[in-house]
Amino acid sequence: MINEKIKISTKNLNVFYGSKQALFDISINLVQNKVTALIGPSGCGKSTFIRCLNRMNDVIDICKVEGSIKIDGDEINKKDLDVNLIREKVGMVFQKPNPFPKSIYDNIAYGPRIHGLAENREDLDNIVEHSLKKAALWDEVKDRLTQPGTGLSGGQQQRLCIARTISINPDVILMDEPCSALDPIATAKIEELIDELKEIYTIVIVTHSMSQAARVSQDTGFFHLGKILEFNSTEKIFKNPDNKLTQDYITGRFG
Amino acid sequence: MTSKQKEIFLKKRYRAENRFKFFGIFSITLAVSFLGILLFNIFSSGLSAFFKTKILLKINFDEKKLGININTSEKEIKASNFNEILQEALLNLDLLTPELKKIELIDIVSVDATYELKRFYLKHKDQLNKMIEVSLTLSDDLDQLHKGNFPRDIPEDRRRFSDFQLKVFDEQNAQNKIITEFNFSFFTNADSRDPELAGIGSSLMGSLLTLLVCLILSFPIGILAAIYLEEFAPKNKITEIIEINVNNLAAVPSIVFGLLGLGIFLNYFYLPRSTPLVGGLVLALMTLPRIIIPCRAALKAVPPSIREGALALGASKVQTVMHNVVPLAMPGTLSGTIIGLSQALGETAPLILIGMVAFINVVPFYPIDPSAVLPVQVYLWSESAERGFVEKTSATIIILIFFLAFMNSFAIYLRNKFERKWS
Amino acid sequence: MNLTIITLIIVFSLSCFFFGKTRVSNKIKISGKKFNSLPVYYGYYLAAWCGLPALIILFFWSFSDLYFIKFLILSDFKADPTIDKNKLNLIFTEIVSIAEKKFSGQIPKNLVPYAERFLNLNKIFELSKLAVISSTIVFSIFFSYKQILKNIKARESVEKVIRFIMFFCAAIAVLTTLGIVLSLLFESIKFFTVVPIFDFITGTNWAPGRAFIRDASTEIADVENVFGAVPLFWGTFFIAAIAMCVAVPVGLFSGIYMAEYARSKVRKIVKPLIEVLAGIPTVVYGFFAALTVGPFFRALGETIGLDVSSESALAAGIVMGVMIIPYVSSLTDDVINAVPLALREASYSMGATKSETIKKVVLPAALPGIVGAILLAVSRAVGETMIVVMAAGLGARLTINPLEASTTITTQIVTILVGDQSFNNPKTQAAFALGITLFFFTLIINIIALQTVKKFKEQYD
Repeated sequence: MINEKIKISTKNLNVFYGSKQALFDISINLVQNKVTALIGPSGCGKSTFIRCLNRMNDVIDICKVEGSIKIDGDEINKKDLDVNLIREKVGMVFQKPNPFPKSIYDNIAYGPRIHGLAENREDLDNIVEHSLKKAALWDEVKDRLTQPGTGLSGGQQQRLCIARTISINPDVILMDEPCSALDPIATAKIEELIDELKEIYTIVIVTHSMSQAARVSQDTGFFHLGKILEFNSTEKIFKNPDNKLTQDYITGRFG
Repeated sequence: MTSKQKEIFLKKRYRAENRFKFFGIFSITLAVSFLGILLFNIFSSGLSAFFKTKILLKINFDEKKLGININTSEKEIKASNFNEILQEALLNLDLLTPELKKIELIDIVSVDATYELKRFYLKHKDQLNKMIEVSLTLSDDLDQLHKGNFPRDIPEDRRRFSDFQLKVFDEQNAQNKIITEFNFSFFTNADSRDPELAGIGSSLMGSLLTLLVCLILSFPIGILAAIYLEEFAPKNKITEIIEINVNNLAAVPSIVFGLLGLGIFLNYFYLPRSTPLVGGLVLALMTLPRIIIPCRAALKAVPPSIREGALALGASKVQTVMHNVVPLAMPGTLSGTIIGLSQALGETAPLILIGMVAFINVVPFYPIDPSAVLPVQVYLWSESAERGFVEKTSATIIILIFFLAFMNSFAIYLRNKFERKWS
Repeated sequence: MNLTIITLIIVFSLSCFFFGKTRVSNKIKISGKKFNSLPVYYGYYLAAWCGLPALIILFFWSFSDLYFIKFLILSDFKADPTIDKNKLNLIFTEIVSIAEKKFSGQIPKNLVPYAERFLNLNKIFELSKLAVISSTIVFSIFFSYKQILKNIKARESVEKVIRFIMFFCAAIAVLTTLGIVLSLLFESIKFFTVVPIFDFITGTNWAPGRAFIRDASTEIADVENVFGAVPLFWGTFFIAAIAMCVAVPVGLFSGIYMAEYARSKVRKIVKPLIEVLAGIPTVVYGFFAALTVGPFFRALGETIGLDVSSESALAAGIVMGVMIIPYVSSLTDDVINAVPLALREASYSMGATKSETIKKVVLPAALPGIVGAILLAVSRAVGETMIVVMAAGLGARLTINPLEASTTITTQIVTILVGDQSFNNPKTQAAFALGITLFFFTLIINIIALQTVKKFKEQYD
């Protein structure tokens, strides 16, 4: 446990939508190269929380984020910070697969292009291939890179989105219920992928499925009504949670 | 209620139902037949303008009468007079013409005929001192007679050609000397006081230039404004004012834009009157809301997940919108723009106010040349008394409707082909 | 000259773009130095600095130099008290046309030196414009290149400029409205200083042709009583009312039929067909009304012994009504489609027929939307110009006989402003007064209509 490096830490994080408070004093530490699952009933603030980590909440006008979020010890919840640089470092995969209506190749190449990661076409080709391989999609699409990404199946689309996120080589990948729109086989593939990716990236995943959290994560946080009730190793949470409510939720008594 | 009463009542209800339905069908039929009558009327009276009536005349290109020889330069030929050989040929049609009627005989061809001869000679210089048959445009009145647009069996004093002219015309017609050919000059000539010479060349070009100015101004401004309002504008009073403004501007009567053009562009900025530049400016202001509104609708239709996907990759707001959102909104925007431009093409009133009603007898080439536009040409010709202008007006309308139909079908094609449906 | 300068600016900006872009990417390659933005943004940055200030200067310069030249040249004449403002303007146009060698007639000798001076001043202004703009370009390229070397955040700056340009484009809509209001107001105020606003609104005699100002003594006599706009208001209202009598029933029933009864195949054909009516230019309707419908009514009237004028309110109104049908029918169709299916099902489930459901349930629910649609149509009818210009005639009289010629606000604006358009003349200014009346009237109807439709749509969203 001593070798663990804290990647992200939040302190007294409060989020408001207009006058309504969505998150209350969230203070947790997320560990590098681990998968952290966030569970809890719908509307409890899990998604709101991970959207703070790459400042996606900036998109919503009425949303106000207070408190401290540090990535590698650097504060990111500052007004004058370039959010685009944070988002380059902290990638995100959404609930519904959202490939751009462009070719598969251009979907992956978009990020490297805007961040100037490739000096020439060859570089870009390599990045695309590498990202698709890492997302376990290469074999399925290598012959049709020029076809639109929207033509893929749901599971493939989601892996394409993961490949797109990987393409700019982030440190952290946030996943907002990445499997909720997918069938069980596609879900299994993504879960497998998550397990491989944690070697390189720090992953935070929001999920509705207890079993998914148990399968893929090392740490788990339980959110309830905008508060984090329990944050512990996954093993502990599922076997012997400290909190009564956590226990009830996991065993399916509410939620 | 007994069952008998109930049956009667039910019948009454069904009658009301049928009556109601009939009103609907009747209204639709009425509206569609209005359209049919309108189009039929225009087409039936306008198609004949695409043809013109000519007479085949034997012309003797006599060197002495023309005062030129084989070495005469082009410039001198242009300055020389072909009237004499023309009159000679015309008078030869009826050698027994009484002196008083001679003028009538000479009048059966268009005033342009002598220039037609000149143009013919410039192309066929080897015909000097030879006798050759040349086709020359007939006068407008005989042209209308030949096309059947004017009745022949009314008293002489109520028509614009004399019995004598009619006699000569019939004789020539019997000898197959009267021919009909496609009226190319209608598309290339500028306006003229003589219907048989008047063409839509200048107004066609004027419309083109005006529309070009309008497009260059309104398209980029409209799109940028729409992007700002839909993607960037903060939700505050200023944005709200701009939005209400855009919506109302789309419903302001077009003539008010004409007053704006007159009061500001002409009277204050001293821009040149009657020009496509000012016309295009005024129409651009009018078209602007008609581009902004569909462009915003198209932007709104792009799902937010696309924006989030790009933002999460660290693309800035401007990059996200420009790279990912705007291209998706393009089909809708383009079809909206084309429809807006087609409305601008048919607009008349504001252009009249900025002086585009002037009589333009040269084809304009630059946006600062005075010019007319197609719809104003329709207005101008419809006010003319000559019979020949009626078919010209209808023909201009046919051309105008042709352009509008083309633009609108193109817009519909764009929309159907490229606009994606988001689930 | 301006064209040359614009080409110059464009060429410079383009070369700046490529220079900035390659310069930065070379630096990255050679020294491995990390820049804050992609090289392409340094290109944009340099190009924006090169082009924008120069274009702004060019724009303002081009609009103001004539005023300066005018001021400088006319300063000699201003001392003379016999020369008033109109005369000054006239003198200046004469000087300009002499200078441009377009003067027709005998050239006044005393103006020739001024024409020469005009040409000289023009040359000076043009040359100094070129000099100022070139030095601006040089200076701003120099400045912005320095900035690039400092590794500024070029993307942010470029995006700020883009945002500002977008905002400016959006603001043009407001500027247009402002322009409309100001231009109308400016001339109208001049008009209302001569003709009392009360006379304009309540007067019943409209004969602006007689408003010639001969001298001071006849001015008042001539201007009084000829600018009574009531007959125009009445004509406008009357023709619009006739149009609505055609458009509302036909449009309403067509809309209802298309929304509720028509099979989708029929709808696909008929709806665009009816909308074609709205796409036909109004001048075509005008031509049709004047040459076909008007004479047709006249002939019809003759056969039953009625005296119908060939330019009549009836012909113009009916044709205008046809033009407006699609505005009513399409909006009605939309509005009825917005009424939720659940309402209809509730009615059907109680055994109501289709027409009963429509009359008792759908239409009352859709009423605000339909009223909005009709109001928008009224505003179209009031502002419509070409049909009435070509088919309604010019006679400004208070009549309820639809068979007589009638005139409208828009007709009079066109009639006044076609041909001679000397400003500073109450006749011309009257057109602007009519314009502002029309503008505000339609504006109010539009605002009410748009609000009603918007509220209706929100209700069922």
